[in-house]
Amino acid sequence: MQTVYLLVPLVCLVPAIIAGLFGWKIGRVATHLLAISGVALACGLSVWVFLDVLAGNEFNGTVYAWGVTGGIPLEMGFLIDRLTATMMVVVTFVSLMVHIYTVGYMREDPGYQRFFSYIALFTFAMLMLVMSNNFLQLFFGWEAVGLVSYLLIGFWFQKESAIAANLKAFLVNRVGDLGFLLGIALVLMHFGSLDYAAVFASAPHLAGQNVELFAGHGWDLMTVITILLFIGAMGKSAQVPLHVWLPDSMEGPTPISALIHAATMVTAGIYMVARMSPLFELSEVTLNVVMVIGSLTAFFMALVGLVQTDIKRVVAYSTLSQLGYMTVALGASAYSAAIFHLATHAFFKALLFLAAGSVIIALHHQQDMRKMGGLRRAMPWTWLTAWIGTLALVGIPPFAGFFSKDAIIEAVQLSQLGASGIALVAVTAGVFVTSLYSFRLLFLVFHGRTRMDEKTRDHAQESPWVVTLPLVLLAIPSVIVGFLYLEPMVFGNFFGEAIQVAPAHDVLGRLAEEYHGKRGSDLLLAFLWHGVQGLPFLFAVAGLIVAWFLYLEKPDLPGVIHKRLGFFSRILEHKYGFDEFNRFVFAGGARRLGGLLWKIGDVRIIDGGLVNGSARLVGWVSAAVRQVQSGFVYHYAFAMIIGLFVLLTLFLKL
Amino acid sequence: MDLQLPIFYFFATILVAAASLVVTLRNPVKAALALVLAFFSAACLWVLLEAEFLGIVLLLVYVGAVMVLFLFVVMMLDINIAQLRSGFGEYLPIGGIVAALMLLEMVLVLGASGFDLQGMPNPAPQPADYSNTRALGMLVYTDYVYPFELAAVVLLVSIVAAIALTLRKRKDTRYQNPAEQMAVRRDDRVRLVKMPSEAKRESGR
Amino acid sequence: MNLLTQSYPDLVPAVPELFVLTMACIILLLDLVLSVRWRNASFLLTLYTLLGASLLTLQDIGEAGRYTFNGMFVDDLLSDVLKVGTYLLVACVLVYSRRYMLERKLFRGEYFVLVLFGVLGMMVLASASHMLTLYMGLELMALSLYTLVALQRDSRTAIEAAMKYFVLGALASGMLLYGISMLYGVTGTLDIAGVAAGVRAKGVDNLTLGFAVVFVIVGIGFKLGAVPFHMWVPDVYEGAPTSVTLYIATAPKLAAFAIIMRLLVGGLVDMAGMWQDMLILLAVVSIALGNVVAISQSNIKRMLAYSTIAHMGFLLLGIIANSENGFGSAMFYALVYSFMSLGAFGVILLLSDQGFEADKLEDFRGLNRRSRWLALLMLILMFSMAGIPPTAGFFAKMAVIQAVIEAGQVWLAVVAVLFAVVGAYYYLRVVKLMYFDDPDQQRDITAGWDARLLLAGNALALVLVLPWIGALLDLCAAAIRAIPALP
Repeated sequence: MQTVYLLVPLVCLVPAIIAGLFGWKIGRVATHLLAISGVALACGLSVWVFLDVLAGNEFNGTVYAWGVTGGIPLEMGFLIDRLTATMMVVVTFVSLMVHIYTVGYMREDPGYQRFFSYIALFTFAMLMLVMSNNFLQLFFGWEAVGLVSYLLIGFWFQKESAIAANLKAFLVNRVGDLGFLLGIALVLMHFGSLDYAAVFASAPHLAGQNVELFAGHGWDLMTVITILLFIGAMGKSAQVPLHVWLPDSMEGPTPISALIHAATMVTAGIYMVARMSPLFELSEVTLNVVMVIGSLTAFFMALVGLVQTDIKRVVAYSTLSQLGYMTVALGASAYSAAIFHLATHAFFKALLFLAAGSVIIALHHQQDMRKMGGLRRAMPWTWLTAWIGTLALVGIPPFAGFFSKDAIIEAVQLSQLGASGIALVAVTAGVFVTSLYSFRLLFLVFHGRTRMDEKTRDHAQESPWVVTLPLVLLAIPSVIVGFLYLEPMVFGNFFGEAIQVAPAHDVLGRLAEEYHGKRGSDLLLAFLWHGVQGLPFLFAVAGLIVAWFLYLEKPDLPGVIHKRLGFFSRILEHKYGFDEFNRFVFAGGARRLGGLLWKIGDVRIIDGGLVNGSARLVGWVSAAVRQVQSGFVYHYAFAMIIGLFVLLTLFLKL
Repeated sequence: MDLQLPIFYFFATILVAAASLVVTLRNPVKAALALVLAFFSAACLWVLLEAEFLGIVLLLVYVGAVMVLFLFVVMMLDINIAQLRSGFGEYLPIGGIVAALMLLEMVLVLGASGFDLQGMPNPAPQPADYSNTRALGMLVYTDYVYPFELAAVVLLVSIVAAIALTLRKRKDTRYQNPAEQMAVRRDDRVRLVKMPSEAKRESGR
Repeated sequence: MNLLTQSYPDLVPAVPELFVLTMACIILLLDLVLSVRWRNASFLLTLYTLLGASLLTLQDIGEAGRYTFNGMFVDDLLSDVLKVGTYLLVACVLVYSRRYMLERKLFRGEYFVLVLFGVLGMMVLASASHMLTLYMGLELMALSLYTLVALQRDSRTAIEAAMKYFVLGALASGMLLYGISMLYGVTGTLDIAGVAAGVRAKGVDNLTLGFAVVFVIVGIGFKLGAVPFHMWVPDVYEGAPTSVTLYIATAPKLAAFAIIMRLLVGGLVDMAGMWQDMLILLAVVSIALGNVVAISQSNIKRMLAYSTIAHMGFLLLGIIANSENGFGSAMFYALVYSFMSLGAFGVILLLSDQGFEADKLEDFRGLNRRSRWLALLMLILMFSMAGIPPTAGFFAKMAVIQAVIEAGQVWLAVVAVLFAVVGAYYYLRVVKLMYFDDPDQQRDITAGWDARLLLAGNALALVLVLPWIGALLDLCAAAIRAIPALP
């Protein structure tokens, strides 16, 4: 089985290398066949591993130790449990869909092979991340997916805005990664190991220990470690205030938005926190922080989605908001619910992105929703799958999103942490906003009047099968995953030992008690019935109605509202001014500081002293050496004699 | 009584003086001759140490063969002495100072105390009929056979090197090949050509 | 004393040496008989000799040290590893050089014979357990090298380089011999283990011993090319035919390491307090001068010569640490360095052709446009020389510096790293020339497939060796433990 584990990432890496180095030689068709078959194999193997793990065969071991430093072994190892296996299936499946879709979407792009190389490499990196059994490999995967993300956002590197966006993503992620790295360093310092099992085993003994970051101020060790790790997760999973890069990442090609910036990479933070549950459970402070950050993201980012006009950006803000939901679930210690939502979200959000991409191709790279509308007839498959995706996102039963989201809201309701009050308000209200912007998108794009010019309208047609096939294949899990896995994931302690929850925080356990004694379809029906009666469902339906009223019945009304609430809409249009703040304080401050340092440090000391100085030194030494290196043998011999003489004189203790 | 000491100092003085002359004399022929003298004194010192075989070999090989060859070369080549010596005076002061300091250091360091003279006393004098050569041969072909053979390889390499670096096949060198000469037939050398008789032309036309 | 009473020396440990010697003589004779068209036969025979020697050496690798020839010859793990490294290096040298030598009409019997005799000298050095054999090996190797440099008789620069090399080499070997004679005077023996015992008995404060050590260090410094005994290096590297430079720049470094191990560590380990200080001076000056002066060179052979000087300084760092770890890392450094050097000069050889020496930095301009593959290989080689991870060069530097830090000489490590950064400049300049400049010329690269293939393996090995670095370091440490004098 170990070979299979090893094979899963490798079958993605090999095509990545071949496509990257020799893609220009082997041609387009060979490249995509290679990449798709590699990822398909990985997907198949992942499913096999998943079934194997369900049968009880877990694995935790080192595959290869590549170094030892300071007594710490640096290893490459795999931890295959249910959590990992779930992630593997999600990652490889979505990746496979995106690979197939790319064949159609990137058809005319000159960087076709490069693109396949990147996405295959991404799949490899992501697999390394989720399969890791130690912090170092986790960090490797973490940085590798970040790198690929950087490369892909700037895939169209001739585009000014793409370059700005990838730089932004890179810098913001650095902030998160710094925290993450510091967290890992603290773990190493206090636990003396980087291995998950060893760290988790000794975590309870170190709980309550203090660490003095500044002399005299003792801070709870676990809180510091988990907050630092969570900062890493905030960067990668785009939580407020490190979320600013995700909307801009939409500059990349749409398959990438689906694969990396919606379905998989951004969920790495969620996965990481779930994986670190034995640590996070030891600090209530951190859990509160996590919940507050999550609820802020969930609600406020959803609001911004209301005013966006770019189809991809709406979906991007929706992603932010949904990541917020997952984070809230993490804060409430409902890790299983978070992973459940992660999985369902991966399917339906990838679906929505790919559907948006399908629309974009049909309209020749028009992304402005104000210039769409009425595409239902032209693109029936896209329309249908987009409806499924939207219903799943909004949380209409029995679509997948309903179960996972409702589980989160229920869990928050049962949580006894201080922040659960705010969180509950945010996630519940968020449902309404989600519903509103989702249906706004759906109505503006597929229904109502067509607002595009004649020519575009006439050319608008359904995308080729390589595009629609993934849509359909993604639509299936978006419908069924919810009720298939609700019971095991939320109620059934599906992840076993992989996720540890302190009894005091065990919200899902309490939730299970409420449905005590019910199993199978009974449980499902009870959950459905409970959900339909609840506020979130009402909000979702209300969102649908309001959206229908505003964007189909009275299309003039939104403009009026927009004007009336000028102040609020301006705030939303400026996305709360995060970008402006960053630009002024961080970028501007850094630039001013840099300018100062440049003038003093660079120009005077480095350029003046070191650079010119070293050039002068080289020139001077060379000139001196040239004098001695004259080509005359007796000069050389004499130099040797002098050397002998110096050694004799210096080192002979007379 | 102990005649050895005065004899040693006598030859040692000659040796040092001759060696100094080798480097200071302006005329290369004279320098070579001074070197012969130095070799000779060294051979005498070896004989004094009862290493008669080595002393004689030194004379035979170096003085008899190498130096004579060397003298021939020096005498046949017209070496511009003035040019060779041009840098000498220029570097003399600094070279001299370094040499003097080195000498001083060596004198200070290399006293008899450093060497284990008590641990290694003089061997007992051998009788007159003791064969130096045989003893050397015994050692060289048994205990020291490996370095001895290596020395042979070094010599082989130097032969190869000397030939490789100097032997040239010149196209313009003339040499006889007796085998070819013997195999010559008349037809190779003489060709009979039939010519029609011509009428005598008028001169001047 | 009777010849018959002497036991016949055990020849088994020395079988590789005997084999190489026999084959060298056979090739010498064959070359006389074979016509010019059969030159390739000598070439192949030389390669087979090296192959055979490595098989003979490998068959008893790992066995405990075996002495023979009255204790003058030792066959232990250290000698075996160094010998196998030498065979491999020299075989690559021959393959890389074939076309170059053919085009310059140097592809002659003497060349192979001298190369093989040089190899024999290095083997003798690696297996020396007696000052006499050590010296004989040294001279055998040196004499072959001098001649090889001069082999291109029509080239003034080659003759001049050979002359310099010869005169200075004779001077250095005279000094080494003088040092050895002092050691004999003090300890009364030339056997290396005996010298070690004698030193222990005499005490390390013995002035004459100190005096001897200085002269030994000078001899070693010359062989390594450490400042201030380095003056021959740039002139010889530049003047010699590139194929001979390739030879000088690779295998003899292993031999020099063998001298250090046998003489300095095997015989004089108790004097470490003294030679450490001297080597620190040599190492620091070598690293500094080598790296700084290399920057201002425009001839790549000369640049690599100065880079050699700097690298030898790094090698000395491992010796300075005076620990098993340190010696092991120095050995690893020597091995890695010789293979990097092999590759770098190999690229120069491959780029050269009839009447054209690719030995100017300008000749590398725009190499990427002319041959992506060669440029990539050179990139790897330069990265490795500069010590950029994940190349073997990086790990070699790291191991050496780690050993120095363990020995408590942190300042030395800092200085070494600083100058390594300076050194990165000129390696990266080559990369810059290859990738960012336009080519001056459009010569086709006419190298043969065999050399190309081998070079690719050579360069890629510096990266692909990564998983086995630990094993190699362990092997080096095990080889070091074979030296009896070590505590």
